[in-house]
Amino acid sequence: MDCVTTLKILVIGESGVGKSSIILAFTTGDYNASFPATIGVDYKCKVMEVNGLKVKLGIWDTAGQERYRTLTNSFYRDAHGAILVYDVSEPKSLAKLNEWVEELQVYSTKKNIVCLVVGNKIDKDRVVTRQAGQAFAQKHRMLFIESSAKTQEGINLAFEELVQKIIETPGLWESTGSSSNIRITNEERRQQEQSSCYDYTCSI
Amino acid sequence: MDDVLDEVVPSEDLQKFEKVYHEQLHQGRVTPKAQFEYAWCLVRSKYAADIRKGILLLKDLFNSHAEGKRDYLFYLAIGNARIKEYNKALHYVKAFLEIEPANQQVLSLERQINKRMEKEGMIGIAQEIAFGLSNERFIWRSLSSVEKAKKGVVCLV
Repeated sequence: MDCVTTLKILVIGESGVGKSSIILAFTTGDYNASFPATIGVDYKCKVMEVNGLKVKLGIWDTAGQERYRTLTNSFYRDAHGAILVYDVSEPKSLAKLNEWVEELQVYSTKKNIVCLVVGNKIDKDRVVTRQAGQAFAQKHRMLFIESSAKTQEGINLAFEELVQKIIETPGLWESTGSSSNIRITNEERRQQEQSSCYDYTCSI
Repeated sequence: MDDVLDEVVPSEDLQKFEKVYHEQLHQGRVTPKAQFEYAWCLVRSKYAADIRKGILLLKDLFNSHAEGKRDYLFYLAIGNARIKEYNKALHYVKAFLEIEPANQQVLSLERQINKRMEKEGMIGIAQEIAFGLSNERFIWRSLSSVEKAKKGVVCLV
């Protein structure tokens, strides 16, 4: 069976909270204790089944480092879902998530984008209570889950909940087929209108 | 999109960071940040000339700014892979892996480069075979017409 749609999922949050580890755990089931800082932006693909529908996920892993903050904004465009990660053993990473929420509000283009707050590293000694994470998510009307990329706990559930919610949100996604052709044409037209300098579009 | 080598920079990003870089250039002092941001956009352009320019800027940063060396190496590999300079790209990948041998992101880039080399190598071979076959057919046709001509000559005689 072919995939009904491709969804763009964005993973954001402070450096070192485990964004890449969560993606690695979800896409391969592996864990790497000494994960080096992500360079720029990484991309991973995974097909998953939700409500009997096959959905292709294009997961964008953004560097949490300050040097990439101004560069990664354009990746927010057209994202269907966002995963905002903090570290339950590092309270500052939850406080800092406010800045990432602001970035998301400014740069994401889909109004009803589905957001999920993930408190990662629950295998470690926690400093941030579950309630604090939940309150943060509630305040921003986001989904909430706690996870450990190390033990795999909550990892699959996080992506399932997010994708389920995206699929249930009317108008957020389009199925692969005739309608997507129209979308591409509109996108091309929009790009042509915006710039004549660098944009070279060819019709297929 | 299947991998990071397919990703193309939005034109507004390229223009934005190009402007900052040129403003600083005009003032006589370009910060490593501005140079990297512009280079990062250039190596993700769809035009080979932009990518080559980005590679030059990254090489310059690599030699002058120690702090971001791993980032510069990684995007030197990306840039070269995008203009199909696969051997150069793998050279940068190898240099990176000497410092961080288990880096998932770079190992996955190495796999993508190898996959492209293999795919494009196969296309190259297929084209050669097709060319060879058409040549053979041409020779065969020429030969058979010579044969026919000969027969004609024989008949005539």
